[in-house]
Amino acid sequence: MKLELRNINKSFGEKQVLKDVSFIAEGGKAFGLLGRNGAGKTTSIRILMNVFPANSGEVLIDGAPIDYDKIGIGYLPEERGLYPKKLIIDQLVYFAELKGMSAKDAVKAVDYWLARLGMSEYRNKKLDTLSKGNQQKIQLITALAHNPDIVILDEPFSGLDPVNAMLLKDVVKEQIAKGKIVLFSSHQMSYIEEFCDSIAIINAGKVAVSGDLHEIKRTYPRDKIVVSTQTPEKIQADFGNVCTKREDGTLLIHLATPNEKQAMMKRLVENYDVDEVKVFEPSLNDIFVEYAGAQV
Amino acid sequence: MKQFKKILKFELKGYLRNKIFVGFTIFLVALIAIVMFIPNIISAFESDEVTDPAPTDIPTMLVYAEDEDLASIVKEYFETTFVDYNVKLAEGNVDQLKEEIVAGNAECAFVMDSASSYTYYVNNLSMYDSNTAIADTVLQEVYRINAMIQNGLSLEQAGEIMSVQIESNTQTLGKDQMQNFFYTYIMIFALYMVILLYGQMVATNVATEKSSRAMEVLVTSAKPTAMMFGKVLASCIAGFTQLVLVFGTAILLYNVNKEALSNPLIASIFDIPIELFIYLIVFFILGFLIYAFLYGAIGSTASKLEDINTSVMPITFLFIIAFMVVMFSMSSGEIDNVAMLVCSYIPFTSPMAMFTRICMSTVAWYEIAASIAILIGSTIGIGILSAKIYRVGVLLYGTPPKIGTILKTVFKKQ
Repeated sequence: MKLELRNINKSFGEKQVLKDVSFIAEGGKAFGLLGRNGAGKTTSIRILMNVFPANSGEVLIDGAPIDYDKIGIGYLPEERGLYPKKLIIDQLVYFAELKGMSAKDAVKAVDYWLARLGMSEYRNKKLDTLSKGNQQKIQLITALAHNPDIVILDEPFSGLDPVNAMLLKDVVKEQIAKGKIVLFSSHQMSYIEEFCDSIAIINAGKVAVSGDLHEIKRTYPRDKIVVSTQTPEKIQADFGNVCTKREDGTLLIHLATPNEKQAMMKRLVENYDVDEVKVFEPSLNDIFVEYAGAQV
Repeated sequence: MKQFKKILKFELKGYLRNKIFVGFTIFLVALIAIVMFIPNIISAFESDEVTDPAPTDIPTMLVYAEDEDLASIVKEYFETTFVDYNVKLAEGNVDQLKEEIVAGNAECAFVMDSASSYTYYVNNLSMYDSNTAIADTVLQEVYRINAMIQNGLSLEQAGEIMSVQIESNTQTLGKDQMQNFFYTYIMIFALYMVILLYGQMVATNVATEKSSRAMEVLVTSAKPTAMMFGKVLASCIAGFTQLVLVFGTAILLYNVNKEALSNPLIASIFDIPIELFIYLIVFFILGFLIYAFLYGAIGSTASKLEDINTSVMPITFLFIIAFMVVMFSMSSGEIDNVAMLVCSYIPFTSPMAMFTRICMSTVAWYEIAASIAILIGSTIGIGILSAKIYRVGVLLYGTPPKIGTILKTVFKKQ
């Protein structure tokens, strides 16, 4: 299954929030939707979910306009919140039913997910008696219980402790393995980098860059070498200006052309006490800062 | 439709699980039950008193006059008139008499200056003290009879003149305002209370979903029209159930206690004709819905619960104005005044105004039909409009937007 947003435009009053936004997310893969605050991520997600229509553009599934009665979407909003004063089981079943499940199936699915996330003991408690992290796990169930084809997770890891983050990672991997389209929106680049095969960075309502993450990385010239060593002073003294020290303590050697790469690596390994030598690839963080940081 | 049913079910369950709602309903039913049993309870106590009379409880009324003849005549007349009092002639002078009253030995005293002038002494003057008015009538009668006798009439002739009764008969061809007044009053008041109460509840319900951000998931799961209609109908059913319980208890207990409640006023409340009852239900449901939709729409524009009170103010004002027009017209007796005529066709005021006119005046069937048709049309229109406002409103956070801005956004979308 392939989800495509094609040339989406959206204005609120005079303000154009989205300008020709297009991207493609594929089933069985995770897709990262990145952008700074107010860039238009949530608006894109809401259009994708048919909360409001776009002024122009299309949302397509396998090339045909999306049929919201057939394609199930699960959504974990960035702004978390359910009914604080209602029983957890009641509201989870209600949300699953609203998504089209029968009452019986809804109860079954909700119970499965409560058990899966280790929350069964809270089944008949009110939501506001739970800790923030546990409330978030309950909220995750509203996104997954109805077995949706598309799972949209907006900042899923914020507020989770490492154990719960691990649990969520497993759940996300499971969803991806089931062939679902998993759409991530997050500022935590490490998670996106870990999960997402392809990304789109939205900046001021436009897609600044999109596509396969590895290919995006490969577009950067391979003209820098990262050196990890116990004796950086010696290398720095020998290389002078072309060598800079990075924040993590490794050295970055700038080459005149990418062709020098092989020779330089050989020279470093033979002449110095190095632990690791590799070609520099930008991290997602670097890419994000470059595309989303500019022009705002 | 499927979603609508689920929302309706969920919202209704919310009302039934709401302890305040359930508690308040039980309280009202219990209150009605007590009120309906009061005459029985009182008569139970009264029958006790008959078997064990306590004559010391009867208050004393003193009569004093310089002229002893006058004093004894007045005493005689007062004894037959003020049966609730132990009427006595005062001993001593006026100052002693005052002391007696202050000390509590007597409740009140009439000091006669002459046959047509007196001073009434009482310790604490009650709001409902009608002794002077009764005394005036009695003394006037005494004075007139005396005057007639002095002018040569015999005592019998004078008595006959004084006891002439005027016979009268009233035939009501249209509506009897007096008889219909009380149930119209009660129904209008019930409508007023229920709409304000439930309107506020619907608005708060929507705003709570918004402020708790449950809305973020809801808008992506259900259609705004289904949400709005589900919520409003749930509140309508809950409100109606509450009313049926309260009035049902009242009617049931009235029939149980019919003999004790022989008061014609109470009987007039329960003797509501069936066609008026049907009109009542029609206007009640439509009036409830049209306001509940408005309240729901307003609730969706508020991001915080605190904003609700200020946001709903215009609607509440509109509603109170309608209520005031009806109440003033009812008490003035001029039901068919211009304001009422106009109000009985305006959808927001017609539930109260037209219902009152039907109850207390004569209204042609086509007027009623027109009013109901306008109301049904407007209710559906307002329902759809408020679902649209809801859709725009629920995603707006921050200061509640102006009505104009919202309407502009709503209509721009089409």
